[in-house]
Amino acid sequence: MRTFKKGIMSLLGITLISTQLAACGSTAETPKSSEAGKETTPSNTAKPVEITWWNFPSFQALDGEVGKYEKQVIAAFNQKNPDIKVNLEMLTFEAGPEKLNVAIASNTAPDVIYDAPGRILDWGKKDLLAPLNDMITDEVKNDVSPALMKQSMVGDQVYMYPINTAPFMLGVNKTVFEKIGALNLLPLDRPDRTWSFDEYKKALQAVKEKAPDVIPSGFFAKSQAGDQGTRAYISNLGNASFFTDDYSKVAINTDKAGAALDWIVQGVKDKLVVGGSESLTGGDVNDLFLQGKLAISLNYSPVLRAQNVTLKKAEFEDILLPFPTIDGAKPRLEPYLGGMAVFNNGDDAKIAASKKLIDFIANDPEWGKKNLIQTGGLSARNSITGLYNDPEYTYAEKAREFYTNPPTVADGYAEIRTYWFPELQRALIGKATGKEALDSFAEKANEAITKAKAEAKK
Amino acid sequence: METRVRKVNQHVLRDWLMSYLFLLPAFGFFLIFVAYPMLKGIYISFFNYSLRKFEFTGLDNYISLFHNETFLKSLWNTSLLVIITVPVVIVFSIFVAMNIYKKKEFARSFFRGVFYLPAVSSVVSITVVWGWIYHPNYGILNYITGLFGADPISWLGNTKTALLSIIAVLITTSVGQPIILYVASLGNIPTSYIEAAQIDRASSWQIFRKIIWPMLMPTNLYIIVITTINTFQCFALIQLLTSGGPFYSTTTVMYGVYEQAFKLGNFGMASAMGIVLAVVIGIISTIQFKYLGSDVEY
Repeated sequence: MRTFKKGIMSLLGITLISTQLAACGSTAETPKSSEAGKETTPSNTAKPVEITWWNFPSFQALDGEVGKYEKQVIAAFNQKNPDIKVNLEMLTFEAGPEKLNVAIASNTAPDVIYDAPGRILDWGKKDLLAPLNDMITDEVKNDVSPALMKQSMVGDQVYMYPINTAPFMLGVNKTVFEKIGALNLLPLDRPDRTWSFDEYKKALQAVKEKAPDVIPSGFFAKSQAGDQGTRAYISNLGNASFFTDDYSKVAINTDKAGAALDWIVQGVKDKLVVGGSESLTGGDVNDLFLQGKLAISLNYSPVLRAQNVTLKKAEFEDILLPFPTIDGAKPRLEPYLGGMAVFNNGDDAKIAASKKLIDFIANDPEWGKKNLIQTGGLSARNSITGLYNDPEYTYAEKAREFYTNPPTVADGYAEIRTYWFPELQRALIGKATGKEALDSFAEKANEAITKAKAEAKK
Repeated sequence: METRVRKVNQHVLRDWLMSYLFLLPAFGFFLIFVAYPMLKGIYISFFNYSLRKFEFTGLDNYISLFHNETFLKSLWNTSLLVIITVPVVIVFSIFVAMNIYKKKEFARSFFRGVFYLPAVSSVVSITVVWGWIYHPNYGILNYITGLFGADPISWLGNTKTALLSIIAVLITTSVGQPIILYVASLGNIPTSYIEAAQIDRASSWQIFRKIIWPMLMPTNLYIIVITTINTFQCFALIQLLTSGGPFYSTTTVMYGVYEQAFKLGNFGMASAMGIVLAVVIGIISTIQFKYLGSDVEY
């Protein structure tokens, strides 16, 4: 009996040790992510394929259930492609980027993703994605504006299939202006709605004087989230591009842009701009707007407007306006672009299946249009218009003519973003003038560009 | 005789083997989830490990860290956080424990519950509420200070108040466990010691200094070491309340690790930062054990 017990205990011990060693061993032998793209396994596409689709909330939630719409898309896709099983995983905008970084570094990236160029182009530059050139026919290429095409490519390789777009603009609480009898101060009588910095100041002053419970305008610098809003705001108020045309260095550090930032800092003191903006996020400012406490929000787009319909805490009409410029010149609007990319996980069959899913989502005769409307955005294709029966969308389509070179394609963009908001904070807390803060940002950002270019050449 | 010795040896051997077999599961988990990641972290810190690359760079990560102003600032902020938080937590916890341990069962449980609640609540929920309290435009704190005629303050947006505001939240979430432990410890001090001192006309301060404090040393050592380590690793509050701002005035080493690893994908640099932090914590804990542990009698 004793011998039997001893035998059992020994067996148990050996099993435990071996399972633990096996666990360690398998981890150690996992190939490095850098090698992932090089090994491809040819396989028969007729075989059933299983792919994983990670999706941010790019589509509006159906019946308030996140992922419900995506499941319907997959079901419709499976009717036409029964051999492809799609596993859906929904990401959040807050935790998704980190989850993706860890997944890529640990060689467990998804097969296909719906995202924006900021991350996708970075992955493209790191050879983590499968090129989609075979999907972009001349017909597609000629139908997408160059600014959007630029956001989908690294060199001559297309890494993102552009699907929906929208210009980032100001969100304006029209009801507040109606109530104070100052609707005439907004440029709504002009077809392109362009306006000057002075006209903008007058509108803010009117809100301050006649609607004391409403904060005239927003600003935020707590974190990098929503930084396209602050970038475009200063860029337009100072009539300056964010980068040079060739993206070799930062161009926002001009005297005029510095003066625009100084005006914002002074605006906080004069109660024309929300107080404590150095500790507010873009989300906080949009919340104030949705609560009816803020007249003008600077991080808005038709997509956000559509998503915010159910989130409004006060009844008001929100409209879209372009950013004002010093002399009312053409504004520079950063394009939001949503699209899909395929990770090169070393399996041709999965890459082919992922491309089929992208094609279905973007171009299916029935679901293509449906999907676009569900994003709340405009089509990336110039030929597809009139999706919505809403004057704000009609205007948003027109405002696409103001699309500027997107900063997201710059080398080292991920690092550059981390230097932007701290410098805005430095100006807002009075530790630097606007120009000093922008110069300091430019110095760090230019270093990041040089470093990223050098890394890319290695 | 020989047979008996051999039997005893077999017995000892079997007990010895059994003890280690019982330890094995926990030891296995320790190896896989603590020791292996730690060693791997040290290994990775010598590499330029990004999403695409894994190149040996020797001490480059460490050298660039000590030339990086933001990292040095985060080390300073982290130290400041520890220097202020740990003594306040200890003093406040002892003060509360001294005042409640002699109270009736219900009152004692009530206060223990009140102070322990933040420790068992979700840090995220607590931080969100504190975010509202500190809100520059609609926060209750500015409302209260406004009643006394003060101008609204951007508590988390001012370099002078941001770190202190974080420390205030950190203290509320850190005092729960020390209070529970101190109350238990105080209850274990024989009342005869205190009564004898009172008969000898010892003052309250003398009783505390000469009897209570030495008797609390084992608990003190544990609480000081654990609070120091937890404060060094402060991250969630920073991320949710300030994201390290304004202008890096609340950035900490742990927040830097998160930013480098998860936002920028520089896992090598993040590991190097983590190793530096671990070394600092190790040195400080050793000093604490050396100076506070000598008085401990179990």
